[in-house]
Amino acid sequence: MESTISVKGLSVSYDRKRVLTNIYLDIEPGLIYGLIGPNGAGKSTLFKAILGLIDTNSGKIFIEGKSIEAERKRVVYVPQRDDVDWTFPATVYDIVLMGRYPHKKMFQRMDDSDREIALQAMRDLGIEKLKDRQIGELSGGQQQRVFIARAMAQEAEIFLLDEPFVGVDVTTEEKIIESLKRLAAEGKTLLVVHHDLATVNEYFDKVILLNQRLIAYGDTEETFSEENIAKAYRSQLPILHKTGLI
Amino acid sequence: MDFFEIFQQEWAFRALLASSMVGLMCGVLGCFIVLRNMSMIGDALSHAILPGVVFAFMIVGYSALGFFVGAVLAGLFAAVAITWIQRNVKTKNDAAIGIIFTAMFSIGVMGISKISKNDGVHLDLKDFLFGNSLGVSDQDLILTGVITVYVLLSIVIFYRYLFVTTFQPVIAETMGISVRVIHYFLMLLLSFAVVASLQTVGVILVVAMLITPASTALLLTARLPYVLTLSGLIGLFSAILGLFFSIIYDTTPGPAMAITATAFYFLAALFSPSKGLIFRWLQKRKLRLRIQTEDILKEAYRLQQRGKLTKENLDKRVGFSTRILQSHLQQLRKRGFFAKGTLELTEKGKEEAKRMVRAHRLWESYLVTQMGLTEEQIHEDAEKYEHLLTEEILDEVDAELGFPKTDPHGSPIPTKRGYPANPLLNLEVMHSAKIASDQLNEHITAQMWQLGILPDTTFEIKEKSSREVKILQGEKSIRLPRDLAGKINIEATEN
Repeated sequence: MESTISVKGLSVSYDRKRVLTNIYLDIEPGLIYGLIGPNGAGKSTLFKAILGLIDTNSGKIFIEGKSIEAERKRVVYVPQRDDVDWTFPATVYDIVLMGRYPHKKMFQRMDDSDREIALQAMRDLGIEKLKDRQIGELSGGQQQRVFIARAMAQEAEIFLLDEPFVGVDVTTEEKIIESLKRLAAEGKTLLVVHHDLATVNEYFDKVILLNQRLIAYGDTEETFSEENIAKAYRSQLPILHKTGLI
Repeated sequence: MDFFEIFQQEWAFRALLASSMVGLMCGVLGCFIVLRNMSMIGDALSHAILPGVVFAFMIVGYSALGFFVGAVLAGLFAAVAITWIQRNVKTKNDAAIGIIFTAMFSIGVMGISKISKNDGVHLDLKDFLFGNSLGVSDQDLILTGVITVYVLLSIVIFYRYLFVTTFQPVIAETMGISVRVIHYFLMLLLSFAVVASLQTVGVILVVAMLITPASTALLLTARLPYVLTLSGLIGLFSAILGLFFSIIYDTTPGPAMAITATAFYFLAALFSPSKGLIFRWLQKRKLRLRIQTEDILKEAYRLQQRGKLTKENLDKRVGFSTRILQSHLQQLRKRGFFAKGTLELTEKGKEEAKRMVRAHRLWESYLVTQMGLTEEQIHEDAEKYEHLLTEEILDEVDAELGFPKTDPHGSPIPTKRGYPANPLLNLEVMHSAKIASDQLNEHITAQMWQLGILPDTTFEIKEKSSREVKILQGEKSIRLPRDLAGKINIEATEN
C-alpha cells in the first residue's frame, strides 16, 4: 500500500543536542499507530518535524508524496492540553469551528455546512450539550474532547495526537478511542503519542518504538514485545519492573 | 453648562470626535494586547515612538502626517529590536522590553529639549506625554479617522487569524498561518493606534485606553466577539465622559479618560455577575451555609439512627459554635426538616439526610473503584464533594458503579428518593428476577395490577428501549413504561 507519511533519514537537534537520529518510517493509511518511548525520546519532536514546525538537520518528510507546505490542510495536530489559556473568552463551539478555518479563504464567511460539520464532530464526541460553555468551565476530559472534535471538523486525512489520554476520565477515553477507530475505518491515518503501556495492545494496530533512534516498528502483536520495550526504555528499566508492566 | 452645550463649541466637538475614535479603536485593539499578555509591549511601544515624532518634527516641522510616519517607523523599529534581543541574547523577555523602550524614550526626550532650546519653537513635552485634545486640527481629525477605520477593518477581516494565533499559536502554524507575521502586523496596528492617540491621551496614558477597557470587558463576557464589542464601547464611553469631566472641571483630558476607564474597571471587578468580587463572595458564603446545613442534617440522621440524638452529641459531631448551630436549627425547623421545638428529624429531613449520605457513600465508592484510591484517602474528599454533586451526576456515578448496595467501608448506600432498593430497570437484558412483595407505594402496586404484573412471580427482561421495557412473565410478554420500570422493586431469585 502507498504510504501517507514517509520519513526518510530524519535527524533533528536542539542547541547542538541530538534529539532524533536517522529516522526512517513509512506510515500506511487506515491504521492507528502508537508512538511509544520514554520522556525525551523525541516523540513530540517527530510530530513537529512532520508538521513542518521545526528546522531539521537532515532528511526529508513526504506527505502523500508532497511536502507538508502543500498538504497543510490534510494534516491536523492535537497538542497536549497544558499550554492553553483556559480562561480565554471562547466557547466550545468557537474552538471546534476553528477546525473549519483552513477551508476558508480570507474573505469567506462560515456557512451552514461548516456549522453542521462542527456540530456533528461535537455530537460524535458527546459534547454537543456543552456547545455554549466557556472552555474553562469544562473538565479535563471534556477539554480534550473539544480539541479532538476540532481536529475532526478539519476533515483532515492525517491526525497527529500528542498524549490524548493523559488526565482524562474513563468516559472520555472510551469516546476518544471510539472516534479514532471510526476515523481509521474511514481510511484516515492516525499517529498517537502514548504513555500507558498497559493499553497499547488494545488501542493500536501498529506501534513505533522510539528512543532518539527508531527502536522498532510494525504490527503491535509482534513489535510490542518485552525485548523491544526493554530496548526503548533501557534507562528506566528498573522502574518498569517495579510497576509490573514488563 | 450641560453636556450638549459644551460640545456645540467647535473646539470641544473636534476633541469629542478625536477622543471617541481613539477610545473605540484602543478598546477593540486592546483586547488582543491583553489576551496575548502584551500589555508591557503596548506600554513600551507607546513610549518608543517619541523619538520618531521628534525626528519627524526636526525634518518636516509640525505635520500630523510627518508625525505618523516617524512614529510608525520608530514603533516598528522598537518591535523588531525587542524581538531580536528576546531571540538572540540571553536576556529575560520583559527586561528586553524595558531596555529598548526606556532608551528610545530617552532619545525622544533629549530631542525635545534640544528643539525647544535651539529653535525657540513651541513643542511641549507635556502634550506628548499626556495629550492635548483641546487643540485638534483638521489634519489630526482626518488622520485619526483613517487610522481608526483601518485598524477596525483589519481586525474584522483578519479576525480568524488573530483569534487562532492568540489562542493557540501552534495550531495556527499547522494551519499555515504565520504567527510571526500576525505578531508584526499587530505591532503595526498598535503603532498606528498610539500615533492616533498622541493628540488625545498622550504616550503615557494610551496604554490605559488599551488595557483597561479590554480587562473590564473580559470580566463581563466570555466570547471574543462580545469582548471586542463591549471593550470598544467601554473605551468610547470612557473617552467621552473623561473629556466631558475634564472640560467641566478644567483639567487635562487624557488622565480624566484614563481615570474614567479605571472607574468602569472597578465597577466590573466588584459587580460582574460571574467574575465580580461581590458575586464570588456571596457564592462562597451561600455554599458555606449550605454545607453547614447539610452537615447538621446528616449528623442528626446518623445520631437518630443510633438513638443518640441529643443537642450535646450533635454539637460535638458538627464542630461549629453552639450559636451558629442554634441559628441553623431555627432555619431548618422553619423549612420543615426538624419537628417544631424538638430535635427530631421530620420525614422531609430524613429524606434530605439520606440524599447526603447517598452522595457521600457513592462518591467514596467511585473514588475507590474508578480512581484507585485507598479507603483511608477518600473520606475527606467525599466529605467535600457530597455537597457539590448534583442529583444528575450522582445517578451517573450510581449507574457507572453498577448500583452498589454498600460503600467501601461496608455501610449501606441509601437509594434515591422515591426509588426502590432494587429497581427492575437496573436488571440487565436476558436476566431474570422476582417481583418483590414490598413495593414503594399503593400507586405503583395499582399500576402493576393493571398491567398484570404480580408480586412474587419470576420474569425475564427481553428488551430495553429509551421508552419502554419488555418483560416475559411465564408465557406472557408485557410492555411497561420505562419510568415505571425504574420504580418497581425486584428481588434476586434463589438459584
